[in-house]
Amino acid sequence: MEHELTWHYPVIFYLYLAGLGAGAVATGAYSFLISASNPGRRYHYFRMARFGALIGPFPVIIGVSLLILELGQPSRPLNLFKVINLSPMSIGSWFLLVFIFTSLLYALTFLPSFKMDDEALSKRLHRVQHVLSLLNIPLGIGVAVYTGILLGAMPSRPLWNSPILALLFLVSALSTGIATIILARSLLHAKSDDAEPERRTRERGRRMAAKRPGRRYHETGYLLATTDLVLISIELLVIFLFIMFAHLTVGNLKYAMETILPGGSMSVTFWVWVVLIGLVIPALVELFTVLPRLLYNVPFQARRSVEFLVSVAVLIGGFMLRYVIVVAGQITGPMGI
Amino acid sequence: MSDSMNLNATTNNTGNPATTDRTQAESQQPVTGRRGILTAMFASAATVLAAITTTLFRSRSSLADESGEAGTDQRNKQYGMVIDVRRCIGCHACTVACKSEFDLPLGVNRCWVEYVEKGEYPDVGRSFLPRLCNHCSEPSCVYVCPTNATYKRKQDGIVVVDQGLCIGCKYCIQACPYDARYQDPIMGWIDKCDFCVHRVSQGVEPSCVSTCVGGARIFGNLADPDSEVSKLIAKNRVTVLRDEMGTFPNVFYIAADHTDAVDSRRPEVRHVRVLTHRKDQTRR
Repeated sequence: MEHELTWHYPVIFYLYLAGLGAGAVATGAYSFLISASNPGRRYHYFRMARFGALIGPFPVIIGVSLLILELGQPSRPLNLFKVINLSPMSIGSWFLLVFIFTSLLYALTFLPSFKMDDEALSKRLHRVQHVLSLLNIPLGIGVAVYTGILLGAMPSRPLWNSPILALLFLVSALSTGIATIILARSLLHAKSDDAEPERRTRERGRRMAAKRPGRRYHETGYLLATTDLVLISIELLVIFLFIMFAHLTVGNLKYAMETILPGGSMSVTFWVWVVLIGLVIPALVELFTVLPRLLYNVPFQARRSVEFLVSVAVLIGGFMLRYVIVVAGQITGPMGI
Repeated sequence: MSDSMNLNATTNNTGNPATTDRTQAESQQPVTGRRGILTAMFASAATVLAAITTTLFRSRSSLADESGEAGTDQRNKQYGMVIDVRRCIGCHACTVACKSEFDLPLGVNRCWVEYVEKGEYPDVGRSFLPRLCNHCSEPSCVYVCPTNATYKRKQDGIVVVDQGLCIGCKYCIQACPYDARYQDPIMGWIDKCDFCVHRVSQGVEPSCVSTCVGGARIFGNLADPDSEVSKLIAKNRVTVLRDEMGTFPNVFYIAADHTDAVDSRRPEVRHVRVLTHRKDQTRR
């Protein structure tokens, strides 16, 4: 089927970047809330939150600019804000407008934190950050979910017209958002964090840790890795449910799903790039890295190169997921006329 | 927020200044935080709720204005078309008339004729399927348009595009099950068949109807029981395209062959070839 694609790279990149940015901001804001409620371990969580807050808005803005460039006339998208209707794109563009504003404000509040000399200023900023992080979590999740709802709103695109697609995009957005934070940390963090004071570990665990060289991280590294691992597992489960229920129906959705299932025109792209490279391999590597901490309470350690490669693989997988879903949805339509 | 805190502070200061100050210093931080949280949450929730209710009420009231929900019988005028495929000779006169009526750019069509070929020699058949926008009673393109640029006209049920509002996002192209919409390659906006609204509003038939050599296209008011289209629908077996999409199309076909390329998987349908005569070689 060589059908002309109505939505191509700009839209695919937009769906990916908006989800990624929203996921990074939301997870960063969440770790800020942890830092606020955890004064003892505040600094590490705060630094994680800063990565999310400072990086997050830019993918969203780049994605939206790509869309505006694709529309051709920069003044045209202003028509979106003349009305509110129940179209997912209308609701989503309002969400995006508010989210870009609040996430940029949120990013700005983190800029003075590189120099925390002024006590009064940092205290006042902390309060603003608190409110903004509470706003940004629901808004970020809203933006991430909306990218899935946008595609799911049309019966004429059977592959997209599934309630689980929005969930899949949300989980993928959060997972790529965390991967962005891990990537930024592995690139920008020259020296490793001070690990937490020696825990009580069993002899076997200590031997195991000694055999595995790598940077010792603070608990935040462990938190990031496990959260990513859990999200990837949920994503695999959601993909399984998506495919299984499509396979168990009769008609349009089953017919559309054949492009992804083995033998279909996009099956290699999907199974190799999305499932294997984007999900299974990163999940296994992350599982291997977190196991000593999980089983034997050894301080979390990870090689910088491993962290880098895992996060890049997750980011590639997230993009390929959007690519496969957007393209496969468009080359298939309802069966029959 | 901070005003109320200050107020608290001033009232408290009437007591023992030293102790109250300390208790304040201890209690102030968490109270501010929690109140900030609550205020922010309430404010955001209230905004979202207000937006949603406004929208819902607006869409309700606009539906109420529209003299009826979806069906054609509540509407006092719903233009529609009956296409008698038995009379179509596949000459593409309607395509040409439409292109010249609107001076359409290269590569796009509002109206086109598909050929469906099936069977193996000597048992073969070819039938024609004239296509156009179905001006649905439940138009999914209208439901997804973010700017209300495409809408169903209240006075005659024609689905039109307001090119001044259209941003060219192509959401409606995705939503239309009939592939009736295209992006204007020159202007970038979305366009489609509008039943020749400029002719119809003057009492003239659409261009494709008046040019049809076999008289296969019949146009009229579906809400009027005495119109020719209503009589044809009453007397003949009529079908619509992609009924299962729930769009309630207003273009009806007599003796249309609904064979699609998908049907070539069936063992009894030996060979199917669909010629769309458009830039897209396949039906979507």
